[in-house]
Amino acid sequence: MSTKHTKAASAFLLNKSRAQFLNQSIWYVREKRDKVAMQLAEWEELRELSSSIKCHTVTHLDTYLEQFASQAETNGVIVHWAKDANEHNKIVYDILQQHGAKKLVKSKSMLTEECHLNNYLINKGIDVVETDLGERILQLMQVAPSHIVMPAIHLKRQQVGKLFEDKLGSEPGNSDPTYLTRVARLHLRNEFMTADAGLTGANFGVAATGDVVVCTNEGNADMSTSLPPLHIVSMGIEKVIPDYRSLAVFTRLLARSATGQPSTTYTSHFRKARPGCEMHIVLVDNGRSDILANPQHWETLKCLRCGACMNTCPVYRRSGGYSYTYFIPGPIGINLGMLRSPRAYSDNVSACSLCCSCDNVCPAKINLSEQIYSWRQGLDAIHKADPMKKIISSGLKYLYGHPTLYYMGLKYAPLINRLPRNILYNRLNAWGKGRELPTFARKSFSEMWKKGIVR
Amino acid sequence: MNSKESILSNIRKNSCADYEMPDIAVAAVRYDDSLQQFIDMTKAVGGNAHVVQVDEDINDLIRSYYPEAVNIVSNLPEVTIATGNPDVVAKPQDLDGTDVAVVRGEIGVAENGCVWIPQAVKEKAVYFIAEYLVILLSADKIVNNMHEAYDMLQFSDYGFGTFISGPSKTADIEQALVVGAQSACGVTVLILNHR
Ligand code: SF4
Ligand code: SF4
Repeated sequence: MSTKHTKAASAFLLNKSRAQFLNQSIWYVREKRDKVAMQLAEWEELRELSSSIKCHTVTHLDTYLEQFASQAETNGVIVHWAKDANEHNKIVYDILQQHGAKKLVKSKSMLTEECHLNNYLINKGIDVVETDLGERILQLMQVAPSHIVMPAIHLKRQQVGKLFEDKLGSEPGNSDPTYLTRVARLHLRNEFMTADAGLTGANFGVAATGDVVVCTNEGNADMSTSLPPLHIVSMGIEKVIPDYRSLAVFTRLLARSATGQPSTTYTSHFRKARPGCEMHIVLVDNGRSDILANPQHWETLKCLRCGACMNTCPVYRRSGGYSYTYFIPGPIGINLGMLRSPRAYSDNVSACSLCCSCDNVCPAKINLSEQIYSWRQGLDAIHKADPMKKIISSGLKYLYGHPTLYYMGLKYAPLINRLPRNILYNRLNAWGKGRELPTFARKSFSEMWKKGIVR
Repeated sequence: MNSKESILSNIRKNSCADYEMPDIAVAAVRYDDSLQQFIDMTKAVGGNAHVVQVDEDINDLIRSYYPEAVNIVSNLPEVTIATGNPDVVAKPQDLDGTDVAVVRGEIGVAENGCVWIPQAVKEKAVYFIAEYLVILLSADKIVNNMHEAYDMLQFSDYGFGTFISGPSKTADIEQALVVGAQSACGVTVLILNHR
């Protein structure tokens, strides 16, 4: 009954202190998110609005993309369209070649990970430098990100210290985060100064104005685009939004959801190239327009890539990003992987206890757990179903179909807190293996709701 | 069919739902004292904010905040302490080594300490490359939240603008917060014309 995810998770859990460290670091971010969200009385209203704006935009993508592209062109930006990863990579390379660019500095972009742009360019002789600190660390280690917002969250400071000692000549044995960040600052400053081109992703593309909006804390997207004469933006077609009024809603949600900050340090609006320079936008489809046709899963296109669903997910926190086989891990990654290729990535759908926590934090209100559940139902069709999970799932299906039983179950869930460990953590309970069960609240949410304890 | 047409036609063929644009009217947070909230938030995000008093001179203030600064760059006429002008550099790389850059902000946002800075210099690098950034902001330009900010947002002809909330920071090494990643290591907002 092992999938690639459960095997990788078991291996990850062998190192108990590392597993505990990851769980704690990520839970800390989840708690910060809760704190800032609760400071806003309108938080739920914002989530609802964000969801409806995205529903509208994603179901009218043609109109907004055309408007965005023509606005950008009016602003003097050169717009390209790429059907797939290959075409995207080729376009980027061609632009670099036309400018005789040899060194490219990059800010964080999950889309270029999706397209494997770095390898493509490196094989053609381009010097590609990631400039987000976490991404740079991983690039020097030659490994992939384990989280979409905090790419190096799984590493300990000593590992980074050793890496910098080997690659950047930092002081032996010094793994102080401030010192290491200073070392990276000096190293990256030199890369910015000597780069021929800068590439950024896009958090949002504003159709009404043609602005590309990029949010960072380090300022690396801005350094990447303020010095070299060429700026290339890689943007997924689902990143387009109607106007500034919509943008106000998203900027209020994004950083709060992602890291518990009231805002990212920099929210930069790129509308035109610098005088005498060039700005290009590559609009990338790569399967997105096909997702639109999927009635159960098109809502994944609403994703803001904030990472909140990962931070809250008990399975992600206890198994780490590398246990998933798709490059985006966690709840949203399970779904995006299945949309990419059910055959290749079905191992991940077992990485879910259907706790629904991801649905409750998602600032775009994507029904992530329901979608994962529906993939599981479809697994039989490709003979990938896990017999044990199937029993659990059908049990849940039965419960969901019988609301009274479901609520009864919740009401008695606090009893589990008092069950002896050998019942909770026996060999039959796949989740008990290496995982502490969450403590169930003494009162269920609906119980508290009815009694007016929570509002 | 070129890629643009084929992507757009695939979108038209595949869209399986139709949602209306919602009415964006949020009963958003407002503060009794938005100036104080802005100051508190600026500090919370690692920056510094100071309300300039009538008998205070901004040049003296900048000097007192950054006594060791040698290269001070600004194109604002009131910044007489400036040693360089970002509008006359031949290339943006020439701004490396700037100790302090002094720039103007157009909107301050109380809910998150953001300051809107539409590009008003030849090389926008000045906003990011300096070790320390000083932002001059008029007290009457502080709004409650991002909705109000976007309602009044203005661009310059340069076609770039950014909200800056405190200094550059990272938590990429073990979630330890370090200020001064790739951009400014410190930000001071000087609030002017407070009555
Ligand atoms: S429902 Fe599944 S994917 Fe979502 S948080 Fe719970 S365990 Fe994780
Ligand atoms: S699915 Fe939702 S919570 Fe997860 S990354 Fe996307 S927007 Fe954030």
